Amino acid sequence: MILRATLCLLCLASPLRAGVPEALTGHILPGYAGFAEAAGDLAEAARQDCTAPALRARYQLAFDAWTVVGDIRMGPSETGALAVVFWPDARGFTPRTLQGFIADQAPVGRDPAAYAEASIAARGLFALEQMLYGAEFAGYAPGSYACALVQTMTADMAAQAQALQDGWRDGFAPVLLSAGGPGNASFLSETEAMAALYTQVMSSLEVTADTRLGRPLGSFDRPRPTRAEAWRAGRSLRNVLLYARAARDLAVMLAPGPLPQTDAALARLEELAGRVSDPGLQDLDDPAARLRLEIVQQQVRTLRDTIGAELGAPLGLSAGFNSADGD
Amino acid sequence: MKRLLPSVLALVAATPALAATDRAAVIDTYADIAQAGYEDSLITARALQEAVAALVADPSEATLAAARTAWLAARDPYQQTEVYRFGNPIVDDWEGKVNAWPLDEGLIDYVDTSYAGPTDENELAAANVIANPALRIAGQEVDAGTITPALIADTLNEADGIETNVARGYHAIEFLLWGQDLNGTGPGAGDRPFTDYAQGEACTGGNCDRRADYLTAATDLLISDLEEMAANWAEEGAARAAITADPDAGLVAMLTGMGSLSYGEQAGERMRLGLMLNDPEEEHDCFSDNTHNSHYYDGKGVQNVYLGAYTRIDGSTVSGPSLRDLVAETAPELDAEMTAKLEATMQALGAIKTAAEGGMAYDQMLDPANAEGEALVMAGVDGLIDQTRSIERIVTALSLDSIAFEGSDSLDNPGAVFQ
Repeated sequence: MILRATLCLLCLASPLRAGVPEALTGHILPGYAGFAEAAGDLAEAARQDCTAPALRARYQLAFDAWTVVGDIRMGPSETGALAVVFWPDARGFTPRTLQGFIADQAPVGRDPAAYAEASIAARGLFALEQMLYGAEFAGYAPGSYACALVQTMTADMAAQAQALQDGWRDGFAPVLLSAGGPGNASFLSETEAMAALYTQVMSSLEVTADTRLGRPLGSFDRPRPTRAEAWRAGRSLRNVLLYARAARDLAVMLAPGPLPQTDAALARLEELAGRVSDPGLQDLDDPAARLRLEIVQQQVRTLRDTIGAELGAPLGLSAGFNSADGD
Repeated sequence: MKRLLPSVLALVAATPALAATDRAAVIDTYADIAQAGYEDSLITARALQEAVAALVADPSEATLAAARTAWLAARDPYQQTEVYRFGNPIVDDWEGKVNAWPLDEGLIDYVDTSYAGPTDENELAAANVIANPALRIAGQEVDAGTITPALIADTLNEADGIETNVARGYHAIEFLLWGQDLNGTGPGAGDRPFTDYAQGEACTGGNCDRRADYLTAATDLLISDLEEMAANWAEEGAARAAITADPDAGLVAMLTGMGSLSYGEQAGERMRLGLMLNDPEEEHDCFSDNTHNSHYYDGKGVQNVYLGAYTRIDGSTVSGPSLRDLVAETAPELDAEMTAKLEATMQALGAIKTAAEGGMAYDQMLDPANAEGEALVMAGVDGLIDQTRSIERIVTALSLDSIAFEGSDSLDNPGAVFQ
């Protein structure tokens, strides 16, 4: 308590040189711009050739771009992110909805504007993953309904990406930047804005450890490889790393100085991930493979704790409620 | 993640006041409300048990309707206890036995041909135990020749480690009383005929004896589960002992329960996700179309904890020193904010309830073409998210942030992780 009181006096003497503007201009806004560009490129490629093999490389780039900001759940992304990444899908909504569209040749699948009202199970990166990589979907022919559906889905995602970019740049960034100012009911102080961004960093790493890695790990007797994120696209491990890098990058923007321990923890994570044999995590029945992934999971938690100690504690920040709380 | 947020500057602003309200007394009120809530849940579940016995003994329109009415009555007090889940490990570890959701109901009984059948995630999604006295679970032969509480609890529930294999609890019973709601986003709830419980020639749906056994066993299990939790909050109960051991940690548990239920669980998982999936089965009480009450009383439970008052099913009130009292003397403006936001949420959830009672059931609100329904649901979501921010502010105002870090070595002791 004494330490805290001292910190607080320091805060009063020289208010936090907030990392909020830096986080926005150095990480979040470029992140949404990057995703908008990559999603636009994917949609444009689909207009040229909508077959699955022609689109996979662009799809991977779009997913890479998403991970920079993909775990942020505030402002326009509080709800908007859910239509880009509906996952996990414990009851198989995504394949069922897509099968229904294809079987019925549903008109919405040819109408990008109307598609904005479709179930989130049929939208965004995971629905596209099924179409481009799923065994029962990806073999569609040029000119088929499924091919038109992929054009619609990519156009819809590009529009969503643009809306997120606009919503952040023109709507929510000013709210964060005016934290503590008159009329700002969302953030009553600069510290509340900092804490909200810090929560995004910590929640992301928690989701990675508990869900991205915890779901496929299952139990020793019953690993669940098909619960890995984006395993069909072979990028489960890549997502773990990219989301962790994004968390570190956002943390750095929030910090008043360098975060050497955090950087070391991330470097260690990359090293440990390099030992994982299957990037899609489909070999977890092998105890050795399982152990390697458990070590990665442990290191993600270490990275989280390190950021907590190196960034959160000195600034008196701790994470708020996580949108992934609950069942 | 159930940790909360402090703020250095606000910490300074909120000078610890000369508190008149005893924190331990606030926790006592909280535990008293829990005890009363679980007791009310048990009382109403026993009434359900009697109604189920009457249905099984003499299946008719009247006995089925009475059992459904008893189920609905049992839900209202239970939902108000959901705020105790997060923050109280004893409750959270137990909760899946009584209120697990969503479920692959095809595990239990017959389903419509439109039902998906086995899925990638769950090969038992259509196992239909009532029709199949022998089945295989994860490669093992299972003898389901006699349906007992033990079979349901030990073998069927979460079979193969899959959470949607919900074989017990309120929603399993709900399915057995109502059946699937096949009306999509149109009007109407599940419409199981009473003859699903008729014996002999009159039996519909097949295996009526096994269906009656299942319903009886699942109801018996619900009673024993609720007895367990009511005892946990009684004078010498384990949950009461845990929460009262350290008043500050107890306050954190209270606020954690309020915030986690409001944000991730109710606003996120139960309301917004269902709306965005446009799926009429993505409602909490999907067979009975009772979701409007389920949401309303969840929200009410959050408000109860803050105000330190609960109205029992007999109309009496349990109340005492409250979280509100503590906040009001420390940060009166924050109390005004919290009180107003909780009230705004209850208004929004009340509007959903009113609309449902007026004929627009919750699943109809999920129809993508129903803009009014979407607005009703999203107003509830927005209220719940908004009140979560104030709950975080209370953690700070009551200087509970360092307590909230308990259990994390790194944050209590920043050097620890580098050693």
